[in-house]
Amino acid sequence: MKSVMNNRIWLVLFIAFSLMAPRLISVPYFLHLMILALIWVVIAQGQNLIQGFTGYVSIASAGFMGVGAYASTLLCLRVGLSVWEAMVCAPVITALIAVFVGYPSLRVKGHYFAIVTLAYNLVIFIVLNNFSSLTGGEGGLTNVPRPEGLSIAGLSISFEGREAYYYLVLGAAFFTTLICALILRSRVGQVLLAIRQNETLAQAVGIETWHYKLFAFVLSAAFAGLAGALYAHFIGFLNPEPFGVDQSLNAILAVILGGSGTLSGPVVGAFLVVALPEYLRVADTLRLVVYGALLIVTTIYLPRGVVPMLVAGFSRLMVFFKRNV
Amino acid sequence: MIELVQQIFNGLAIGAVYTLIGIGLTIVFGILGIAHFAHGVVAMSGGYVAFILIERFGIPFFAAVFLSMLAGAVFGILIERIAYRPVQNAPPINAFIIALGLTMMLDGLNLLTFGPDQIVVRTPYTHVYNWFGIVVTELRVVVLSCTAVLLLLMWLFVSRTKTGRAIRAVAQNRGAATLMGVNANAVAYVVFGLSSALGVAGGALVGAMLALAPGLGESLVIKGFAVLILGGLGSIPGAILGGLILGVSESLAAGYISSSYKDVIAFAVMIIVLLFRPEGLMGKK
Repeated sequence: MKSVMNNRIWLVLFIAFSLMAPRLISVPYFLHLMILALIWVVIAQGQNLIQGFTGYVSIASAGFMGVGAYASTLLCLRVGLSVWEAMVCAPVITALIAVFVGYPSLRVKGHYFAIVTLAYNLVIFIVLNNFSSLTGGEGGLTNVPRPEGLSIAGLSISFEGREAYYYLVLGAAFFTTLICALILRSRVGQVLLAIRQNETLAQAVGIETWHYKLFAFVLSAAFAGLAGALYAHFIGFLNPEPFGVDQSLNAILAVILGGSGTLSGPVVGAFLVVALPEYLRVADTLRLVVYGALLIVTTIYLPRGVVPMLVAGFSRLMVFFKRNV
Repeated sequence: MIELVQQIFNGLAIGAVYTLIGIGLTIVFGILGIAHFAHGVVAMSGGYVAFILIERFGIPFFAAVFLSMLAGAVFGILIERIAYRPVQNAPPINAFIIALGLTMMLDGLNLLTFGPDQIVVRTPYTHVYNWFGIVVTELRVVVLSCTAVLLLLMWLFVSRTKTGRAIRAVAQNRGAATLMGVNANAVAYVVFGLSSALGVAGGALVGAMLALAPGLGESLVIKGFAVLILGGLGSIPGAILGGLILGVSESLAAGYISSSYKDVIAFAVMIIVLLFRPEGLMGKK
């Protein structure tokens, strides 16, 4: 009971802070980073769905993010849809592609699934780089528009500034986290956890596991696609570089660092993977090395991630206080 | 027709390298159950070592490759001990994530040490022959024969020596092998040493035939896994067949479709095999 109360307090504090953040943060660059971190929350929640819940490590998040980003941008620039329409279409297009590629890849398990998805990411990256007539190749696409202004109840909101965009991505991050929470509590979520724990057993009790795996894979791709669209319309310039395999590894790192299979883990992990490179900026050349070392050390010593460790440490501290104070 | 044969020959030489990389992965996966994703970047680092030995110390090509294979073997053993051993009893995906971490680290270190530019491992084999209109470079012949010799040696080691028998015993049943007095940890060292040495040979040959550059390790290891998936897990003949098919299909795709999409074709072949024969071409049902 006590811990539920504690959790609620933390949640309320967190929501209050995230709503107030644009007022509290005076440096524009920090707000920029906050927006990126919230976009990463969307990706990490998707990655957690397939990696943390289902136990299938997909290395294609950045690729799907790229699909979403390019889909949304091209729908705006070439087809002439409004940004809002394009942003809704982008995750749907990404999900459709994920259905096609997910079906064959889910025939293999464990490492092989990881490798096949990695191959997808490479293919997407190659296509983005070489299909120049559509994607602009390495040079990329410029002038990706920001979402059009809205007027709700006589109040007009312009998304040209960072502040309004912050609330947009905050909404997206909450939305995806909420979906994950709902899934986790539903039968589907329980089946996904069962697949992670023992897929053979799940099949033996009559569950068509591949339906559920495909669902998790496609939804995670759709989240990545949404994140990609949010990213493209925020940065305003699009080239294939942020959608390479190393960014997919970043998504995995976010889930592992935060705590895979938890709801709050990916949120913490997303903020960590955006904040870490900023701290490591002094040693930019060493960034990869430090990242790799972090991944190894976390997997060996903190296999459950930062959040469960903090929770365990916190409750131990509370017990200690109760006994001694 | 001549162009077709030419492309197939070129593809065989590349395929031989993929086989070398793929065999290392197959034995590590088949015997220890680890998806050693860092294999490609280890192979690359070995290629760099060979490059340094040749350029700085003036060591002849074969001696340099041999020395870098030894260094690779030691490095492989260290990786097994430091990185993989601690997660031996954890879920297998942890080992894979560690492998990803190793890949990032080694890639970063290679970038820091050798810079972002491409390098080519120099060899004295620069003759070009012309057989019935097919251009055969001496280097490709050297690559193919090196691969054949290494595979033969490995086969002799695994099938004719006592250590080889221990390796096969652990592959069949780790628990039973341990009960029969086989030191499974020592077998893990041997397997990693062997696999890394073969990988390094592959890396040096790629460096001689094409070039070495940061990031190549990842594409090499993915090709290696594609070989595994094509050929069937843990099957050595499968790895040879898979490597050659991959190399040839890539070369044909580059020749007839587009060289920038050749990797896409290679992965498409892999995915088609997965769809229709998930256990691989030579794998058991």
